[in-house]
Parts: sequence; structure tokens; C-alpha cells
Amino acid sequence: MWGFYFNELMRSLPFFLKGVYMTVAVAGLSLLAGTIVGFIAGIIRAGRNKILRAIIGVWVDLIRGTPFLVQVFIIFFILPGIGIELEAFPAAVIALSNLTASFICEIVASGILAVPIGQREAATAAGLSQYQQLRFIVLPQAMRTIMPPLVGQYVLLVKDSSVVSAIGVVDITRVGWLTVQRIPEGLMVFGLVGLLYFAICYPLINLSGFLERRMTVVSTKL
Amino acid sequence: MISFKNVNKWYGELHVLNGIDLEIAKGEVVVVCGPSGSGKSTLIRCINRLEPIQKGELVVDNMAVHDKKINMTKIRADIGFVFQSFNLYPHMTALENVTIAPLKVKKMKKAEAEKIGREMLTRVGLEDRIEHHPAQLSGGQQQRVAIARGLCMNPKIMLFDEPTSALDPEMINEVLDVMIDLAKEGMTMMVVTHEMGFAREVASRVVFMDEGQIIEVAPPDDFFTNPQTERGKSFLKSILTH
Repeated sequence: MWGFYFNELMRSLPFFLKGVYMTVAVAGLSLLAGTIVGFIAGIIRAGRNKILRAIIGVWVDLIRGTPFLVQVFIIFFILPGIGIELEAFPAAVIALSNLTASFICEIVASGILAVPIGQREAATAAGLSQYQQLRFIVLPQAMRTIMPPLVGQYVLLVKDSSVVSAIGVVDITRVGWLTVQRIPEGLMVFGLVGLLYFAICYPLINLSGFLERRMTVVSTKL
Repeated sequence: MISFKNVNKWYGELHVLNGIDLEIAKGEVVVVCGPSGSGKSTLIRCINRLEPIQKGELVVDNMAVHDKKINMTKIRADIGFVFQSFNLYPHMTALENVTIAPLKVKKMKKAEAEKIGREMLTRVGLEDRIEHHPAQLSGGQQQRVAIARGLCMNPKIMLFDEPTSALDPEMINEVLDVMIDLAKEGMTMMVVTHEMGFAREVASRVVFMDEGQIIEVAPPDDFFTNPQTERGKSFLKSILTH
């Protein structure tokens, strides 16, 4: 029986690969949007405007304090109630981008605040504007602190993307659910699902570790 | 050039600058000294508004620094500031450190900025360290780069906040020598320091501060040999016995 199911599973590989494509698409778009929004939010969060900092703080707390699954449902099911119709794929990307942006915001803000205040003072004393200070002095130094956890966040993003299967996006996880109804060998099917996620995440994990080691070398030289 | 009129500053409850009146003329070299917490660093940091003041008037090169609406970029471009902890940009070479402000604030062309950068780094004795990063430089060398960084903007005023206090003793002189040359060339300078030898050599006046107030102002020889106030006397005793 096991042999029969295994053959069936191999014949479903194209379906799984479509799932991989979908996971990569959802995660990839969310990575892009989440990084851009996250960086902008992080820069504001580390800035001088108390009101904006507080607003962003509330947004971050809300997202960190609620289950991502619930956030996905809210965006997909409840927004149409106020007139915003969304299909599963865009809803998934919006929810995942939102989640990613909030975490990246905190990573970026911490990185910026970790740059010694003397750097800003020297740049201010030289006459550089806030924008010039951020661009030439603060962000380049902050990136050293930001890079490792940023890449780590990307790994989490890929794994969290599995949640969007709950609203019908046919990603790797959903393919697994659909397949296991035809091929009732849960271990085999979800073993493959896990393997496929691992194949995507493993290079990212290595990248994060590599960056962390590289950053440590740089900072001990300083 | 620099004019303090009844300048007051508070950090919360702490009255860190209390009724400061001080005039510094062009070409003067003024040394500010005093015990820890006297407000001397705060005083110098107010000049380019690294710290704002709450009361009084502070006029630098005919511009009212105390006016919150005034654009500080132009004023700061004309003032060089040297920090106790150097504050060089670690991700840039010495040349990049000294040229970034001329490039971005004065909008100079790269070739011209680099020419001036090399001149200033040579002037402080670091012509063979131009492509080095701060991590590859000793403390004394870093501070000299910091001075060159200030000079590259062709400033009217150079401010020094305890420039040698974070240096090992054998490196203090190489930095003081650069500062003495600057003073002798007529730069308007305000220096917060405990280096009395430097003060005696080039300072026109010594300003002694304690607890946010100016206690004594006198030419260095007068102050060091014959302080007029009790607090001045006890301060000199505490720094000269060691």
C-alpha cells in the first residue's frame, strides 16, 4: 500500500511544484513590500516625532499581539464588510506584508538607535541635514546591526506564509491538505511539504548565519 | 564673534548654565576650565546648538543662535567642532571623513574637496594615513583627523570639547601641537581643557566655571599664578597636585 501511495505522491509532484511557486510568489511579494514599508516605518520610529512614533508603536503592538491567522481572516473576511472586496492572493500578500513590515520596523529602529549618538552629533555639527545624516552616516552603520535579524525575519516570513492556506491560497501547505485527501498517508504527504519549505528556508538560514559571523568580524575589528 | 548675554539653560530641575555673559572676539583663543559638572561642555555645545538654550541671547558671527527659527546649517558650516571621543565615521576612510561635509553641505566638486582634504590631512601630519579607516588609527591620529575634518570646511571658529581627555598621555602632545599651530595662525578658538600648558602658550583668556556660572576670567598667567577667587584657588590646587 505504501508503495502505491508513494507512486501517487510522485505523480502529484507537478501539483506540489505549483504550490512551491505560489509560496514563493506570496512570500516574495510580501518580502519586497514588507521590507520597503518596514524600513520607512523603522526610520520614523527611530526619529524625533513623538506622535508618529506612538502611532507606529500601536500598529506594531497590535500586530505582535494578535495571531497572524486572525489577521489574515480579518483582512480577507471582514474588509469586504466595509466595501473592500479582496481575492485570496492579494489578501494574503497584504496580510503577510503587514506582518513582515511591523517586525522589520522594530529591527530597523533598533539598528538605527544602536548607532552611537556621537555619530549624529558630529554629523549635526558638520552641518549635514537629517536626511544626509541618515543616508550617509547612520543607516550605513545601522545596516551592520540590521542585516542578520533581517534575514532571519525573511525565514520567518516563508514559514508564516503557510498560514494563508487557510483562506484558500494554493501554496505548499494547501497542496498538502488537498493531496492528503486523495493519498491518506499524512506522514508521507506532510513530510514532503516540510521538505519543500525546508528547501526554501535552508539557504536563507545559512545566509543569516554567514552574515552574523561576518558582522562579528567587522565589529571586533572596530 | 561669539556673544553670550545672560544665557541660561536647564536640564529639568538642574540649572546647568546660570546667567552666562561672555564675549569672544575674532582671533581670540579662549580656554574654558572648571570642575566636572561645571557646565563647560554644555557652554561650548550651545554655540552650534548641539544643545539649545532656554533663556538669554547667544549670537555667533552676527547670527542669533538662540532664535529657534534660524537655519543652523550655514552657521554650523562655519564652525568646526572637535569632540572628546573623536566621533569619526567608522565606515569611511580618513579622506572620506574629512570630505563628506564639503561635498554634501558646501556642494563642492569631488576633485576640489579631495584636494582640500589631502591638504588638511597633510597639515595635521597624516598624509600617509589618508586611505585608512579610523579603526586603523591611534587615538592621537583619530583626533587629528577630527581636527582636519573641521578645518576642511574653512571655518571661522573652531570649538574643542576636551580634545585630549580621552587620549593616552604620549599622544596628547601631537594633538596639542596641531592646536597651537592653529591658534598662532589666528583661528578663533574656544577650548574646554585641563591642559594648562596649552592655555599658557596660546590662550588670550582663561574662563573658569563652576556650578553653571563663570567665576573668573583672566589672562592665563594671571589666573594660574594668582587666582582671585576661593573656588579658583581650590580648583587649581586640585589639578596641580598630581
